[in-house]
Amino acid sequence: MKPPPGRRLVPAYLVTGGRAAPADRRAAGYDRLAILTRSDSTPSDRFGQEHHRLWRLLRPGPLTLVECAAHLRLPVSAAVFLAADLVESGHLHIRPPVPPAQRIDRTLVERLLVGLRALH
Amino acid sequence: MTEIALATASAVALAAVLAALGLARARQHALRRAAAAEASAARHAAQLAEQEHRFAGRQAALTRAEERAAAAERTSRELTEELGHLAAERVPAAALALVHPDLAPPGPLHRDRLGAEAGRAMEAVLTACTTAVLDERARVDAAARASMRGATAKVQTLLHQAQNLLTRLQHEHDDPRLLELDFRNELALRRIQATAVLCEAWPGLARTDSPLVETLLGAQSRVPGYGRVKIANHLREQRLAVAARAAEPLVITFAELLANATAYSHPETEIPVTVQQGGQGAVVVIDDAGIGIDTDQLDRARRLLDGPSGVLLTELGNPPQTGFAVIGKLARQYGFACHVEPSPYGGVRAIVRVPDHLLTLVDTEHDLSVLTPEPVRPAPVRRTPDPGDGPEDAPATAPAEPARASGPGAEAPPEAPSADPSAPLPTRRRRSPRPAVASGQVGTGAEGTVPAARTPEQAAARWAALQEGTADGRSAAGTGAEATEDTGAAPGAAPIRHSHEGDDER
Repeated sequence: MKPPPGRRLVPAYLVTGGRAAPADRRAAGYDRLAILTRSDSTPSDRFGQEHHRLWRLLRPGPLTLVECAAHLRLPVSAAVFLAADLVESGHLHIRPPVPPAQRIDRTLVERLLVGLRALH
Repeated sequence: MTEIALATASAVALAAVLAALGLARARQHALRRAAAAEASAARHAAQLAEQEHRFAGRQAALTRAEERAAAAERTSRELTEELGHLAAERVPAAALALVHPDLAPPGPLHRDRLGAEAGRAMEAVLTACTTAVLDERARVDAAARASMRGATAKVQTLLHQAQNLLTRLQHEHDDPRLLELDFRNELALRRIQATAVLCEAWPGLARTDSPLVETLLGAQSRVPGYGRVKIANHLREQRLAVAARAAEPLVITFAELLANATAYSHPETEIPVTVQQGGQGAVVVIDDAGIGIDTDQLDRARRLLDGPSGVLLTELGNPPQTGFAVIGKLARQYGFACHVEPSPYGGVRAIVRVPDHLLTLVDTEHDLSVLTPEPVRPAPVRRTPDPGDGPEDAPATAPAEPARASGPGAEAPPEAPSADPSAPLPTRRRRSPRPAVASGQVGTGAEGTVPAARTPEQAAARWAALQEGTADGRSAAGTGAEATEDTGAAPGAAPIRHSHEGDDER
């Protein structure tokens, strides 16, 4: 994502609220393609506007973390803070990315075939 | 012979006559001489007297001269003392008083005996000395500012480059330490920028018209402890923006005020910031619950903020206190105003007034930052009739949604007593989603006139009546007069609905 020309006015780190690490301890392991899903409970007013906007963003359906970040015009590292806050409070669910389909190990199949034939 | 006798006789006679004449003359001479001697004696006496008199006069004159000489010597001694006093005490004191205006410089030693002329001359010496000191100070300060300006310009450029690089890196790598590093860089940049402004450099950034709330967010991001700053957005017009030329100066101003607020208050306290739209411009109020400010500091701050002229680097103190000086300079330059006073929160309240001529509106294409706080004032939007349905309908009324989102749970209990006065206490009842189904069945035609529901029960009853009426009408193949009567009643109920909403919000 290309930053706008000129000096940015509102830096991304503002969403961290001055914290060095996200609230959810597992957040360091969040993948860019981790999928965020909204739960039913509405975030309280304790959360800032940025949290509410992320939560509203997921109203139509799940999105990956990197997509959320792009919609909010934040770097992923900053969006992780928001997601981690809402995951910790139970307003969002996060799950690891769907692994890409993998080719079946041919040697394993061959060995299985050999074994089956040996049963005869 | 006779002739001879005659001649002799005549000669004798002549001689006698001559002798007689001579005698008479001699007597006359003697008389005259005596008179002359007498006169000269008198003259002499007079001369003597005159001389004596003159002598006495001279004696007096001599005494007077001696007295005068003594007086002159005393005056001279006093004048010398006075000059010594001037050199040793008064000139240094006058120079010191330029730095410490509270010090009263000492006056002359012998004020009453010092002549007016000498007094004026000495005052002239003092004036000349202070003028020379002031000129020299201005010259030295200008030189210091010029050299600082050169240094800060270079550092500022480097930090901006670092910032651009960091922003790019943040989008490529997901390490949160990059965010931290960006913040550190921003802190350094703020310091450098403030110093540069004091050294009469241009704030250094061309911006476009920037939304006022975003300038506040930008300022917030530049101070340590920015997490404590809570911005309450009371703007009527969310796209209210600061004109391009004043954007960066205002960000610097807000950042300096917020830095003061965070630095001088307890790290657990919040810094409430209110931004509101007045009749002639916008007002930003920054409060802190910190240690406050004493009268001297308050006077100094006000002098720097409202004063007619700039401030010298040498007047900033050690360690230099740049905040108010920077704000004062920018305020004078760009035409906004800043005021500080003791805050009702216990600390300091700073009020920045941005006049109309520095304000504008940004285009609707300009996307506001994701961090922009929602307006606190309830926006005049129609509330959805059903609690369960509320958040799902919100996209059209997104800005007002958070107030709404917390609304259904919070507002239902106070509404119950108004509907049922006999109930002793408001009781929370579980709402089933049945009325939502009802509204869905009625269709879109009536939705514009529907926000009449006071309670779900009333809404349900109303919808049921409408449905029954419609069903009756259809079955009877009638004119549908009942249905129009019902929908006609709904708008009449709408204002009541809105007034309730207003009361709840306040």
